[in-house]
Amino acid sequence: MKIIIDGRDVDVEYGETLLTAAKRAGIKIPTLCHNEAFEGQGRCRLCMVEVERGSMKNTVASCTYPITGEIKVSTSTPLIEKMRKNIVMLLYKQAPGSQLIQDMYKEYGCVDNSLEENNADERCILCNLCVLACREMGSSAISLIMRGTDKQVATPYNEAAEVCLGCGACAEICPTNAIKVIEKDGQRIIWNKVFNLVNCQRCGKPFATREQLGYIAAPGKDISTQSLCESCRRKSAAEKIQGFM
Amino acid sequence: MAEDVSNTEDMISPIVTAYPREKRYILAMMQDVQKKYNYLPKEALKMIAKHAEVPFSQTYSMATFYKAFSLIPKGRYNIRVCDGTACHIKGSAVLIDQIYNNLGIKPGETTEDKVFSLETVNCLGACAIAPVVMVNDTVHAKVTSSGILKIIEKYRGDAGDEDV
Ligand code: SF4
Ligand code: FES
Repeated sequence: MKIIIDGRDVDVEYGETLLTAAKRAGIKIPTLCHNEAFEGQGRCRLCMVEVERGSMKNTVASCTYPITGEIKVSTSTPLIEKMRKNIVMLLYKQAPGSQLIQDMYKEYGCVDNSLEENNADERCILCNLCVLACREMGSSAISLIMRGTDKQVATPYNEAAEVCLGCGACAEICPTNAIKVIEKDGQRIIWNKVFNLVNCQRCGKPFATREQLGYIAAPGKDISTQSLCESCRRKSAAEKIQGFM
Repeated sequence: MAEDVSNTEDMISPIVTAYPREKRYILAMMQDVQKKYNYLPKEALKMIAKHAEVPFSQTYSMATFYKAFSLIPKGRYNIRVCDGTACHIKGSAVLIDQIYNNLGIKPGETTEDKVFSLETVNCLGACAIAPVVMVNDTVHAKVTSSGILKIIEKYRGDAGDEDV
């Protein structure tokens, strides 16, 4: 099946999202709340594009729009650019502390003409990716809480969550670096929970929480066998392969 | 009025387990618990999560999403000041200030002695008698800034009588 994106013929599969198809064809569409590991969420609306189907013309979020017929897509029209600029302006109001959003603010030529807010340090754009990452880890320690202008990501009651492994997947996936992780003196503090870090047996660097390793290991299995940090694990695997040659 | 929640678990359990172990009953469970306790105790959110087989973070997310739920215990008298357009124009903000000056609580808060709590609502549907204040189920019409103090005094007196 073929569709037209920005004047180019693109091969697509029925039912896949517009964003996936465009990406594969090397056509860039800006996104913030999308990560290949998960289905499109349609939250940030930055991926809006214009879709023509017959005589109908729509703007849709490409990360959630499934291709089901012959369409003509424009990823950058004056209307789309204007919408994106508005979105970036609003995101900047929400998260003025984020470097990424600040850069986008300049890139889209936004100008500030509204009231001062008192959230200068805020970086979270409420994209929900951290919540999805945490769920993927099997923990679901965090979620979006409250609503409207009070909305934020948190653990229940902002307390150290029993199910939190301190794995840091949330901080890793966050596009705006909004999640605070403090690592010092062999400890990691995240989401108000303090974890003791395990040292890599090879290089000696602290690299993972006890809870994380215990979770990865089968119950009852000695966690010390996997006490290698990622780079040492790679090295050790490479040595094993060399041993076979 | 807030009940004693010292053995919450035993008391909440029947409310929760009255429903099938399915996600779609979560809100109904919450409503029932809220009806009984005037708020959702933490234990309840944990139990509901367990019963419906969802993460605790999800019941917490839902409970904080809906304005109808409260996560902190309510006072014996829940003062609801209407802050809809009509009441707002008729000076509901003054009433909220008066309550703060007198009881030291802002919307969403409860006095330390657990006698009063304050919340604002968007419209009680009685704009003709604005500004409207409800205390539990009693409606007070055309409340003035001195009137609100009398209302507080009256309920404070009632609370005192009950304690004897
Ligand atoms: S903390 Fe980061 S990943 Fe989580 S919602 Fe906010 S911006 Fe997204
Ligand atoms: S990437 Fe599509 S809405 Fe955010």
